[in-house]
Amino acid sequence: MQLVRLSLKVNGQPVEAEVEARTTLADFLREQLGLTGTKLGCEHGVCGSCTVLVDGAAARSCLLLAAQVDGCEITTIEGLTSNGTLHPVQQAFWEAHGLQCGFCTPGMVLTAVALLNEHPAPSESEIREALSGNLCRCTGYQNIIRAVQLVVEKQQRAG
Amino acid sequence: MTLHILPRGKWVGARVKRVEDPRFLTGEAKYLADLQSPGTVHAAFVRSPYAHARISRIDTTEARALPGVLAIYTAEDLSNLPPLASGLPIEGLKPTPQTVLAKEKVRFVGEAVAVVIAENRYLAEDAAELVQVDYEPLPAVTNAERAMAPDAPILHEDLASNVVYQKVTTLGDVEGAFAQANHIFRRRFHTNRFVASPMETRGCLSVYERASGQLTFYSSTQMPHMLRLFLSLFLGIPEHKVRVISPEVGGAFGQKMTIYPEQVIVAYLGKLLGRPVKWVEDRRENLAAATHAKEQIIELEAAVRSDGKVLGLKARLIGDGGAYSFNTASALIEPLAGAGIIPGVYDIQAYQHEVIAVCTNKSPVGAYRAVGWTAPQTARELFFDEIARQLGLDPAEFRRRNVIRSYQFPYTTITGMVYDSGSYQESLERALEIVGYEELRRRQAELREQGRLLGIGISLYVEPTAWGSESALQAGFPFPSHDNATVTIDPTGKVRVGVSVHSLRQGHETTLAQVAAEILGVSIDDVIVEHGDTDRVPWGMGTYASRSAVIGGGMVALAAQEVREKVLKVASRLLEVAPEDLTIENGTVFAKGAPDRSLSLSQVAFAAYLDARVRAEGEEPLLSATKFYNPKSTYSNGCIVTICEVDRETGLVQLEKVIAVEDCGTMLNPMIVEGQVMGAIAQGIGGALYEAMLYDENGQLLTDTFLTHALPRASEIPEIVIEHLETPSPVTIGGIKGIGEGGLLATPASVAGAVLDAIWPAGQAIEELPLTPERVLTALSEASVS
Repeated sequence: MQLVRLSLKVNGQPVEAEVEARTTLADFLREQLGLTGTKLGCEHGVCGSCTVLVDGAAARSCLLLAAQVDGCEITTIEGLTSNGTLHPVQQAFWEAHGLQCGFCTPGMVLTAVALLNEHPAPSESEIREALSGNLCRCTGYQNIIRAVQLVVEKQQRAG
Repeated sequence: MTLHILPRGKWVGARVKRVEDPRFLTGEAKYLADLQSPGTVHAAFVRSPYAHARISRIDTTEARALPGVLAIYTAEDLSNLPPLASGLPIEGLKPTPQTVLAKEKVRFVGEAVAVVIAENRYLAEDAAELVQVDYEPLPAVTNAERAMAPDAPILHEDLASNVVYQKVTTLGDVEGAFAQANHIFRRRFHTNRFVASPMETRGCLSVYERASGQLTFYSSTQMPHMLRLFLSLFLGIPEHKVRVISPEVGGAFGQKMTIYPEQVIVAYLGKLLGRPVKWVEDRRENLAAATHAKEQIIELEAAVRSDGKVLGLKARLIGDGGAYSFNTASALIEPLAGAGIIPGVYDIQAYQHEVIAVCTNKSPVGAYRAVGWTAPQTARELFFDEIARQLGLDPAEFRRRNVIRSYQFPYTTITGMVYDSGSYQESLERALEIVGYEELRRRQAELREQGRLLGIGISLYVEPTAWGSESALQAGFPFPSHDNATVTIDPTGKVRVGVSVHSLRQGHETTLAQVAAEILGVSIDDVIVEHGDTDRVPWGMGTYASRSAVIGGGMVALAAQEVREKVLKVASRLLEVAPEDLTIENGTVFAKGAPDRSLSLSQVAFAAYLDARVRAEGEEPLLSATKFYNPKSTYSNGCIVTICEVDRETGLVQLEKVIAVEDCGTMLNPMIVEGQVMGAIAQGIGGALYEAMLYDENGQLLTDTFLTHALPRASEIPEIVIEHLETPSPVTIGGIKGIGEGGLLATPASVAGAVLDAIWPAGQAIEELPLTPERVLTALSEASVS
């Protein structure tokens, strides 16, 4: 098996590692780094459960090889909380009952974070569109949309 | 002491944020795939690419030679394991046992033929690809009616045919009803085979300690105690040495009730190899080999009076059970449960049904939310819409003339279900009011003139819930029901609640804590609900059939009440006040009318455990109680109305809005109720418009990835408006009824009904779902030609 050396940042921490060439980014994060918050729902790039941020952009870690992100900055769900305080998107999901089984939640939250970083005040249909790459089987999506709207509302009130 | 009234103060009925959410939001929650045990090896299954074939040879030499491969097993190697069979005693159901790995023959695409054990999953899958299996293909049959034909390929050679159950039941004066009728209507539907498709696929981890003989089996499952019992019997390991733990479950919807061959194999190999064995299926395996559901061929006949009153019904329900009927009479769960629900909320006095269960070369059927009820609800509501239109009656009016009146409760249906209470008329009227029905019909007519097709679909439903033994029996299934809760207050006054109904996503850690907190007078922050581990919680059936609020709520209430009485007894000795003059609020025990005579709950608890003076002779002061609850039958109800527009050119259906009026009796947490309703409605939309397990004539599964199998996304779900009615059950603790399945029970009928309403008079020949653009366009073009 061909081994590849990696040097990257994960959740702000530098990581040096050696991986088999064919190891996906998702498996690298979950198995080698023990960051099991990133989930695998389909492994063919449709469900979005594996979504992480690669240099700030939402990406499907099941469709990326770990070798492809050498030198990049990865943010997983574990990297959102700071000093025990939930990120505003996490907090809003909690308040709006935007999760039930929680499996799609890490991917949903990170996709929402990426969306709001680019568009701080999206409309309802823009939110639906942006989240249409993340499947949820439990909630019917409505409370997830509300959670994102709640973040926008709070930010508008604060700012 | 009977407890039919549940106190409602701070907690019961409140929209409380879920206490369990933080660990899910931060990624700390551990699902099966996240569990890691030192020395774990991984399993990968070799699966049949044929729907029906004899296995002539299996060669594992090349696969075995791969570095990192520990072992490979076939049916021959596991012949000491008995086959999976149905344990439910239903007369007339022919047995079709399933060996854990295919023996001599495969009967569906995806059936497991061999299992590879390797150091990691990548290597296990590499090796699985190298296992050579020689097959002699046999003709496959993928349609239930064709499978019934005398010349059909036979799946189970010891049976003369693929029909494993057939029974006609006549109730009431059916002949008389049909003789009296002014009109006889007939309709046929073939509902789609679709699946639970939880975001988390199946998986398990078997950890066996040789020294102690202890097996710890982790599995994403809905029924930990049943799984433990089954594994103990199957593998011959004494039950007290088997522990089943269900970690966080990423959705189940019934699919994880089934005890699967893969679980048995992994459990067994953990013991055999003495190293932890882990299996996590991928999505393709989940779509092909995890249980399917919802497919029935239903023929309906109605005897109708000229004013629209239905005098009698006849139904023939054929359940397409897939290749094996195992576990709990799986081939029957669709058509038999379906037969019982055909009358629904309508006052039907004469009814004849024929239930047929058939085996076909497709994945075996299992439970999926609203088991057996979605297909008949869809068939009957669409049939009634059509009868209404033929008679020139508004579909809402037709329903009004046939619905069971509120004064008729408790109402025993012709099939023997006892509807305890409900709001069938009220839910219909309220839903129509919310939607602005009259105005909507006017808008529909105006848009028609402009060439636009607006449609309104109404689905009025009753939802059997809880499945205590009485309910289950009324549905035709002698399913046991035995669940327990233990409530304990520790010396420092903290409350632990152990329940056998564990949480898959429904928020039990919150809702059941709300019940305990209300009765014990504490904050839910001081309550912890434990579930999913057979070593830590009392015995029970598990979570399915919307039973946790009724049964879980009920048993927690009973246990908490008993603990409350113990607390007050101890407190009364400390405060020298009679127990009936004491109350507990906000963690403080005080005398009613003299609130300064008080103690904190933690002071009382401490004394109960450590102060011998507060114990009376022979008394059991332990602040703990375990209670069991098996409720009488209870039924929820509701009405779902869908508004849609159909595009003439493309056949695409645009959903404008879905309105759901639901009544589940006393609500523990309205926020959680709404979450259940919305999720179920979304699944129903999928079942009406997008989802189907499609097989070609050779039995090849065409929809085995998310690229070919479309689950609804956020952009496909319209605004869902929910309104609650609350008609408590007169027969359950707290008047609680179950909620969770109504949305999937009733929404396909509502959505399909809206589409058919939009394209009327086209669509009368539509018998199949989902209503893809192709089906809609075909119907529209057929109508314009004729």
